[in-house]
Amino acid sequence: MKPSSEFFKDGASLRVTGKLVEYSVETAIAIIVDGNVNLKIDTQHLRELSIRIGSIYQFIGELLVQSDNEATLQARVGRNVDGIDLNLYHQSLQLLRQFQADHLNKRTN
Amino acid sequence: MNQRQRLSLYHTHIKLLGFDLNSLNQNSSSSSSDAVSFSRNGYAVSCTEIVGVVVSHDLKPNRFLKFSVDDGTACVGCILWLNHLTSPYFASRHQPDVRIMGNMATHFASQIRVGIVVRVRGKFSSYRGVVQITVSDVVVEDDPNAEILHWLDSMRLALKCYDLSPAPT
Repeated sequence: MKPSSEFFKDGASLRVTGKLVEYSVETAIAIIVDGNVNLKIDTQHLRELSIRIGSIYQFIGELLVQSDNEATLQARVGRNVDGIDLNLYHQSLQLLRQFQADHLNKRTN
Repeated sequence: MNQRQRLSLYHTHIKLLGFDLNSLNQNSSSSSSDAVSFSRNGYAVSCTEIVGVVVSHDLKPNRFLKFSVDDGTACVGCILWLNHLTSPYFASRHQPDVRIMGNMATHFASQIRVGIVVRVRGKFSSYRGVVQITVSDVVVEDDPNAEILHWLDSMRLALKCYDLSPAPT
């Protein structure tokens, strides 16, 4: 995740999806990748989650941004989503955000 | 869609997104303690279906299971009652039916855990002024695309059905 992202805020609750490319058993830190963006995930609270390098995972948690702008998602929920259609996911997400924004605009006008 | 068809949505489990559900209008009636009614865009609604990730779980054995479902737009509170055999609410009902309902609720509760995706159906209710779902059934979704398809269904139905015409005055 890049600091220029609108979601790059300390404490922000986020849901992230990506391919798990690295995992440290000692620290329980995983790295997921989506396109050319990667993000560190702290999985220490997800003891029941079975980790498999190369699988697609979705995590929900809070973003911890350190002073050097290094971000880690403190995951409280995680699941393997192998089989997800990522193209459909990204396109649907755009529609969802637009739909939600339209509804909020309608309500405030 | 005419007025009669719109009104028939009252008994339909309308597919809603969390942010939409949380902003339903609540209308309280002083005539009965549980007479909170709900409306969306001016139309009365009573039942819903949502899909999302279970993000919290609070079980009081033989009383209730409270859990939250996060569908990516908001978190929705859900309550699954487990007190069928002790609550006076069910005392006047046909007891074999009540036992079946109780067993089903216990079965649903045993399946729900943090991190899974569930499809929840139930009735709107209100707790401390916040809309929640009083759960009637739960299906655990194994398809990783289930949540996405529910987003698309909910948006399509809102645009083509639930939002079609301005509310009657």
